[in-house]
Amino acid sequence: MLTKVLSAAHFGLEATPIEVEVNVFKKGFPGFSIIGLPNKSIEEAKERVKTALINTGIDFPNLKIVVNLAPADIPKEGSLYDLPIAVGILASIEVVNLPAEKSFFYGELSLDGGLRHTKGVFLLALAGKSLKIKNLFVPNDSANEASVISGINVYPVRSLQDLINHLNGIVRIEKLKYCLSTGRSGRSIDSQSIEFDFSEIIGQESAKRAMTIAAAGGHNIFMQGTPGAGKTMLARATAGILPPLNEEEALEVTKIYSLTGNIPPGEGLIKTRPFRTAHHTTSRIGLIGGGSIPHPGEISLSHNGVLFLDEFPEFSRATLEALRQPMEDGRVSIIRIAGSITFPASFMLIAAANPCPCGYLGDPKRECKCTPRMVMKYQAKLSGPLMDRIDLHINVPAVDVDKLITNPTSSRRGGTSRDAVENSRQIREQVIKAREIQNKRFRGLQIYINANMKNKHIKDFCVIDLQSLLLLKQAVNTYNLSARTYFRLIKVSQTIADLSESKKILPAHVAEALQYRIRSGD
Amino acid sequence: MKKFNREVGKKGEEIAAKYLQGKGYKIHERNYSTKFGEIDLIVSKNNILSFVEVKLKKGEDFGTPEEMIGKNKRAQVERMANLYLTAKPGISEEYNSFLIDAVCIVLDEDNSIRRISYYENIGF
Repeated sequence: MLTKVLSAAHFGLEATPIEVEVNVFKKGFPGFSIIGLPNKSIEEAKERVKTALINTGIDFPNLKIVVNLAPADIPKEGSLYDLPIAVGILASIEVVNLPAEKSFFYGELSLDGGLRHTKGVFLLALAGKSLKIKNLFVPNDSANEASVISGINVYPVRSLQDLINHLNGIVRIEKLKYCLSTGRSGRSIDSQSIEFDFSEIIGQESAKRAMTIAAAGGHNIFMQGTPGAGKTMLARATAGILPPLNEEEALEVTKIYSLTGNIPPGEGLIKTRPFRTAHHTTSRIGLIGGGSIPHPGEISLSHNGVLFLDEFPEFSRATLEALRQPMEDGRVSIIRIAGSITFPASFMLIAAANPCPCGYLGDPKRECKCTPRMVMKYQAKLSGPLMDRIDLHINVPAVDVDKLITNPTSSRRGGTSRDAVENSRQIREQVIKAREIQNKRFRGLQIYINANMKNKHIKDFCVIDLQSLLLLKQAVNTYNLSARTYFRLIKVSQTIADLSESKKILPAHVAEALQYRIRSGD
Repeated sequence: MKKFNREVGKKGEEIAAKYLQGKGYKIHERNYSTKFGEIDLIVSKNNILSFVEVKLKKGEDFGTPEEMIGKNKRAQVERMANLYLTAKPGISEEYNSFLIDAVCIVLDEDNSIRRISYYENIGF
């Protein structure tokens, strides 16, 4: 008998409905074949489905079974077809009745007949909603991803046996309630362990301030300093001051995480802002995304979050230059023979570098051992256009020994009037406040941060007083700033204004922004 | 040597046939052979027609009989089975299900049966 079960295939962030046609022949030699451009993981579904059915107590039919994944010209991958194939076989041998409404079946089977956490359930639910699918049968561990979407019945399936009972009306599986704040653990940034607190970092006040601005406005930041000054620590501590994702941002991030299987079992919407680090040996495709069937890279995985690239000049030049276009557009188009896919890639870049190969160029105490040629070669790795796209450039000098000794835990700041050093929690509150102002400003524009403003938005939203404009003009003239730098300066000034909760951009804000501008020749 | 092999085969078939008859199978053919190859036994039970490959080994020191039945052997039996069904359309009408089975026999030194195993549906 022939049965048709609906499932879905992922291509980029879009899910296409796939009809899983299962025919169990009445006559002929037993056999089990799957057609419709399956890859190896689907070929192996045969053994999983067969064993899972036997372990569920079903007599696997000693008959010829043909499974067709239609449309047959789309290459398919992944283990998600296990469940639809199993259900198709069960319906063909009349063990279960398929639901009358359109339903998606989706998930990987375990040999014992249970269902495993399967990636892409969130995207499946989105596709299901737009295709007006009534029911969704997904693995229990992944079901929370789907419950974020309203208007669709999500049935969390624990095992094949449960599903058989449900479809035959013996024991119903309770459907999940629509709920935006799902996730079993309900973890948030506060409960999550952050490696470093800002108060643990001794000195580096200006760098901390720059980090706060960067986090508040989503600006790219470039840190240069001697080895051991605390660049890496600063970057890692930034993870603790990032504001939580707003609802739209969370949906965007969850899409990508669902596709790559980065959502842990049982979790729903991703609410923690991504903080990704990539080692400098990361390949261009690993960073940008790619593959014959395009997969997102690190820049897409850090969408709406932070991408930290330590030892920035050690990356291969091709890799770094490939960052230029996504940094400008906030998305990346990957074109392969299989088709073209656009992944969002609006990330905040934190880059850290030494000033020269030995690391001590410009250090007041230690001598740099590099020849000028070596320094030139090292710094040439970071091309002008790339550095031009980074809003904040800071120096992280070595920490004074006195500060380290007098204040190993840095609960106070030696020698200055202010008593306590701000910790991450306090800084985070400032950042959240600034982001709220920005969210209000860009409502409905699909922009969430100042760094993503286009020039026309700057005209619409940024209120600059005359004095500040004069200051800007002066700076452009004296430093020969590019048009892009000019607009980036305004964006940074706007973030500083937001941090101080000022409605207008004041000269003080512009002046501070100018400090972080690209420095050449020092 | 060739002749000896055939003798062993014949002996295996006899043991297997007796064993299957004991299990309630009806024997249709013994050593059905054409110029393309042969099927050791063709039996039926409960409206299922089985094509049986018989393997006999004396002692298991040089490998088990199960090991001797690989993918190629199964494919060959299936090919022969199809040939048989085409040659005798009456039978293919009569039965719905066709299986490829195997009987593995291990003999002791004194030619007594050490073990005999029956495997259903090895073609899968």
